[in-house]
Amino acid sequence: MDAKLKKELIQTFSERLSQAAKMYLENCSRCGLCIEACHAYASSPETRYTAVARAQNIRRIYEEYFKKGKIAKKLNEAVEFSDHWMEKVYETAYTCTGCRRCMTYCPFGIDTGVIQGIAKMLLITADMEPKTLEMLADMSIAKGKTIEKTKENFATAAKNLEKEVLERWRSEGGEEVVPLDVQDANVLYVALAGKHSIIPAAAIMNAAGEKWSLSYFEAVNFGAFVGNPAKTKEIAGRIIDEAKRLNIKEVVICECGTAYRVMKHMTGEKPFGVITLVELIARYLEQGRIKLDKSKLPGKVTYHDPCQIARQGGIYEEPRYVLNHLTDHFVEMTPNRQANWCCGGGGGLVAMGEKDFRMKSAKVKAEQVKATGAEVLCTACENCHTQLSDLNEHYGLGVKVEYLSDLTAKALVQD
Amino acid sequence: MSDITPAKILDLKGLPCPMPVVKMSQEIGSVNVGEVIEVHTTDPGSLSDFPAWAETSGNEVVDTEQGGEFIKIFVKRNN
Ligand code: SF4
Ligand code: SF4
Repeated sequence: MDAKLKKELIQTFSERLSQAAKMYLENCSRCGLCIEACHAYASSPETRYTAVARAQNIRRIYEEYFKKGKIAKKLNEAVEFSDHWMEKVYETAYTCTGCRRCMTYCPFGIDTGVIQGIAKMLLITADMEPKTLEMLADMSIAKGKTIEKTKENFATAAKNLEKEVLERWRSEGGEEVVPLDVQDANVLYVALAGKHSIIPAAAIMNAAGEKWSLSYFEAVNFGAFVGNPAKTKEIAGRIIDEAKRLNIKEVVICECGTAYRVMKHMTGEKPFGVITLVELIARYLEQGRIKLDKSKLPGKVTYHDPCQIARQGGIYEEPRYVLNHLTDHFVEMTPNRQANWCCGGGGGLVAMGEKDFRMKSAKVKAEQVKATGAEVLCTACENCHTQLSDLNEHYGLGVKVEYLSDLTAKALVQD
Repeated sequence: MSDITPAKILDLKGLPCPMPVVKMSQEIGSVNVGEVIEVHTTDPGSLSDFPAWAETSGNEVVDTEQGGEFIKIFVKRNN
């Protein structure tokens, strides 16, 4: 590794050294309470898959460049930046899904997400970040600039979804079924590219008589997956500008955990609220604006708490409230809520492929699903849905993997 | 109907996020420069995603078609 890159890496590291980061790098007592907490280690017990080992890869660099004292450095196994060590940094960043389960077991609350953030930024500096994630982030940024040219085509495609939305909920006469550019709407709904992320939500909001508008942009933020704060901000900024332009009351994020985390927790003060689609559905049920028919969902149903919505966002009860309106046969996974096992697909791993690692590191998730005896496994995050579908196939779980929104839309009582 | 003759047809219907763009970026190298891939998708978002991806990768969306059972996007490899 040349001296110039080393210097740049030290600079990057120092820019990421907030007080919190310093505390997380200095306070680990090596108690090991986080070891069993990581799904990767629980599934495949190799030391490198523990939270503490991943953090050590970053901590040892910290010791070298940001701590004083020769003896202390030796004792703490300080290492210099090298090509070999950057491979370890890569392992820290991309064998971890950023699920933060470990953090909830750590007596010091050491946030692996912050340490992972340093690792990802170092990789960007060394041009070692996963190119797929970078490409997707750049596409989203370019979309912010080219959107005027493609709006008309998107509007036609949204209009073409009418029939499928109406199959789930009949519209009131004269209403737009998938409305765009609605000034002063209560809700700006931000979906993903696929129609499966638009149709159920549209049916539900129409059934509730909501004044809503579909965003031209996709909710997911690959700037966050690749760990680039500037890109994360620019990608989220497209939606924030759209919401401001339309004078929106609330931005509702589709079933995408990362999208919710970024918009809710990483974009500062905004002149509108941010909620998930599952919270909106729960609110409609509570207000009696929609009713659901339990006969549409026979058999045992279980729910996977997406890490970014549940452990990170604190949204535990709303999905259960919705499920209690959908079925009398809901069974919890064990453990659940804050202690739920990560699906193993977060942190960009699904987009990157990484199927062997994703399957190997989520054996414990597959076993947890199997133990419920459920026929339907539902969740509220597209990334989790993809990973759970892959696990279903790989481990022969024999469940139907469903989106909570789709189950809701299919059970709407038409009155 | 488009009168473009594609070198390849890529079926990306019903894939989860972000697979359509990922697959497109993987497949573009499988045709020659100047040739066109005809993409079949059911994603409304692809109509904005693919032109944006083409912009960043130096390729080009030369035509789109809607109204049938699925959306068609014609992507020309430019480099
Ligand atoms: S954040 Fe999740 S994946 Fe990462 S080390 Fe902690 S438990 Fe493991
Ligand atoms: S639980 Fe916390 S203090 Fe203990 S080893 Fe893990 S990170 Fe270090």
